[in-house]
Amino acid sequence: MSSNSIKLLAGNSHPALFKLVSERLGVPLSNIGVFQFSNLETSVTIGESVRDEDVFVLQTGCGEVNDFLMELLIIIHACKTASARRITAVIPNFPYARQDKKDKSRAPITAKLMANMLQTAGCDHVITMDLHASQIQGFFNVPVDNLYSEPSTLRYIREHVDVSSAVIVSPDAGGAKRAAALADRLDLNFALIHKERQRANEVSRMVLVGDVKGMTCVLVDDMADTCGTLAKAAQTLKENGARDVIAIVTHGILSGPAVQRINDSELLKVVCTNTVPHDHLKAECPKLDTIDVSPTLAEAIRRLHNGESVSYLFRNAPM
Amino acid sequence: MRRSKVFIGNSHTELGGLICNRLGVEPAPCTLKKFSNGETSVEIGVSVRDEDVYIVQSGSPSVNDHLMELLILISGCRTGSAHKITAVIPSYPYSKQSKMKKHRGAITARMIANLLTMAGADHVITMDLHANQMQGFFTVPVDNLHAGPTLAQWIRHNVPDYKDAVVVSKNPGGTKRVTALADALKINFAMIQTDRRRNHKPYSSMLNLAQAPIFSVASPRKKGARGAPPTVLPAPGSPLNGTARRASMKLQDGPNTTHGTVPSRRKSSNTRKPSQLGGRRPSLNPGEEGEDDVFDDEEDEGVHIVTAHGVQTARVVQGHVVGDDYLEEESESEAQSEAETRPRLQHTDSSVDLKHALGGSVDAEGSDDDDDEFQREKLITLVGDVRGRTAIIVDDMIDRHGSFVAAAEHCRLNCGAKRVVVIATHGIFNDDCLEQLQACPCIDSVVVTNTYPIPVERRIAATKLVVIDVSAIFAECMRRNHHGESISALFEQMTM
Repeated sequence: MSSNSIKLLAGNSHPALFKLVSERLGVPLSNIGVFQFSNLETSVTIGESVRDEDVFVLQTGCGEVNDFLMELLIIIHACKTASARRITAVIPNFPYARQDKKDKSRAPITAKLMANMLQTAGCDHVITMDLHASQIQGFFNVPVDNLYSEPSTLRYIREHVDVSSAVIVSPDAGGAKRAAALADRLDLNFALIHKERQRANEVSRMVLVGDVKGMTCVLVDDMADTCGTLAKAAQTLKENGARDVIAIVTHGILSGPAVQRINDSELLKVVCTNTVPHDHLKAECPKLDTIDVSPTLAEAIRRLHNGESVSYLFRNAPM
Repeated sequence: MRRSKVFIGNSHTELGGLICNRLGVEPAPCTLKKFSNGETSVEIGVSVRDEDVYIVQSGSPSVNDHLMELLILISGCRTGSAHKITAVIPSYPYSKQSKMKKHRGAITARMIANLLTMAGADHVITMDLHANQMQGFFTVPVDNLHAGPTLAQWIRHNVPDYKDAVVVSKNPGGTKRVTALADALKINFAMIQTDRRRNHKPYSSMLNLAQAPIFSVASPRKKGARGAPPTVLPAPGSPLNGTARRASMKLQDGPNTTHGTVPSRRKSSNTRKPSQLGGRRPSLNPGEEGEDDVFDDEEDEGVHIVTAHGVQTARVVQGHVVGDDYLEEESESEAQSEAETRPRLQHTDSSVDLKHALGGSVDAEGSDDDDDEFQREKLITLVGDVRGRTAIIVDDMIDRHGSFVAAAEHCRLNCGAKRVVVIATHGIFNDDCLEQLQACPCIDSVVVTNTYPIPVERRIAATKLVVIDVSAIFAECMRRNHHGESISALFEQMTM
């Protein structure tokens, strides 16, 4: 008889996070082996039975994105052919999320392709966090639970920032909504940095909207990749008399020159959630700090398995 | 176009006719009717075997009926062995429901996409989808045409000093759309942000800026100082010169702007002040009082604007811009008296209730983040400068008037815009939206394309309304599709 219990299958993208989730749930990670053949094809062996089990496959988008994606697809497919009852892909940082629209002629909507690939592989449910555009949920035919890091971020701000003299800042106009929501929850003011477009052939300049003089500025964004925007925003804030500037982002991809830029910038701290691994960068970049979102992910897995509502997690972060 | 048929649905026969005219083809005969039990019946009156079929159907007030009609037409052509079926949907229905709200919301736009492909559509042509990401909802190709170039062309020809105009986005989400138009016209842009009023403190006093000398006077709690505008001017040479000059300009440059009425209004506001402080208004002639009251509040904005880096903030109560000393309606009796003295606002409220009573779900109402305009009170902030210029408020659709009216009032009354033009692709005009925009004294014209049907009598009644014909863009897109030519050019240059 099957126990129909949670099976956690972890990919290689972010072992630290997956270990935290597994410890939190009290469910050990299942024994799987992921290898590469010498021609670099990925090979997966699942070391224990998953027949009629509730399988959760953990993988995030980072580093060698395509290799990890292939790994995820193969694990899902392997579970499908091994008669798992239900397969849930837990993808804290959804890869290719930025390619979500046809903004130019003939531009591919790769996020949609990702959705199709996951479903074709045999995925029955997806858990992810802070999708770049909520419309990506509509790319799937299977249910998608888009979790929010906002409650964890709120807690971090309350614990680490002097909220009496803080102001939430959005580094671009598009993120104003996110910043306003966060400011609302904290009952703080918010400001935004606006890239003013001058007439043709003139240099655009950054304009700060709102007052930050003598305040601790908290820059919030959903993603920090090469950190150019954040560094520039921090500089603008400092020029306008900000006391300190810290940045809080959900997905700290921190690729390319990010570390160098952070070190050279006016940013006091860059705080990322651990949806993407960045512990290895901490030696080079002492400004980095981490918000642990594994409790939220673990709780979502537990609730999904037990058929409980997940909406509680949209407003609250489990301790 | 050889081996092709163009069918026109009932939603927008006028646009369909124009498209056929452009293409030089006759609309293919089909009978669209309803059985007495309300079911839609479609008869296709011509062979479509191995033909390229185009079906023109837009969103409309009876959206579900017309959607069903479209689906049945597609399905009919599919079973009639059409070679390829293209759904031409100028204004995509349900496009505001493109994402899941936090709790169990349906992504209806996605479901419509599924229905279309399931019925047998091989290709979709539409215009200015509410979110670009919606193209990803389809498994078939989607051509999302842009009205931008056409609108830009209209501005060039019809706004006299457009080179000095400013395009304004009425919410942060629309900034991208606006920058595209600003780039096309090579003019500046500005943005309006509305957010929930926090702390219930006057915004000006929340910002403990160096502006203190101005705003301590402006603070509504110090009523005594209010009647004496000259005292708000700081000494020349003070660090806040720029800001102060702006504030004073607002009071003195009256003749150029609507503030020409300031002196007389000011007098009346002063005489009425004590009763306002008492918490209750005297019950004067209701109509006159209501009208006067709105202006009274707006006029005071001259003193209460927060200007920092080109930002101007004001309060919005029930969709209208008010001054910082607008009274909070706390007790129920007071709220009631408010309602009595302001027939216009009361009317706004009731229209919301009506919508809900008719079964409009709260979810659907709130399906767009920027449109919860009937929240009791919000702060409206303009980022950028529109003083003495024409403000062109741009969005993808006009379905409700609230946010447009608030944005226009803010631009015109608080920020000194010379004219306000509201421009959008889809003129959906729910309920009395068009009439409200027509009635708003701060809006000079309303410009939309003909993607969505607007009844002739409404069009005639609304003298401010301008409808631009975009049938040529659709016709050209269909022609190019039929002949297998690239349509990229339509995204950039095509203007008619």
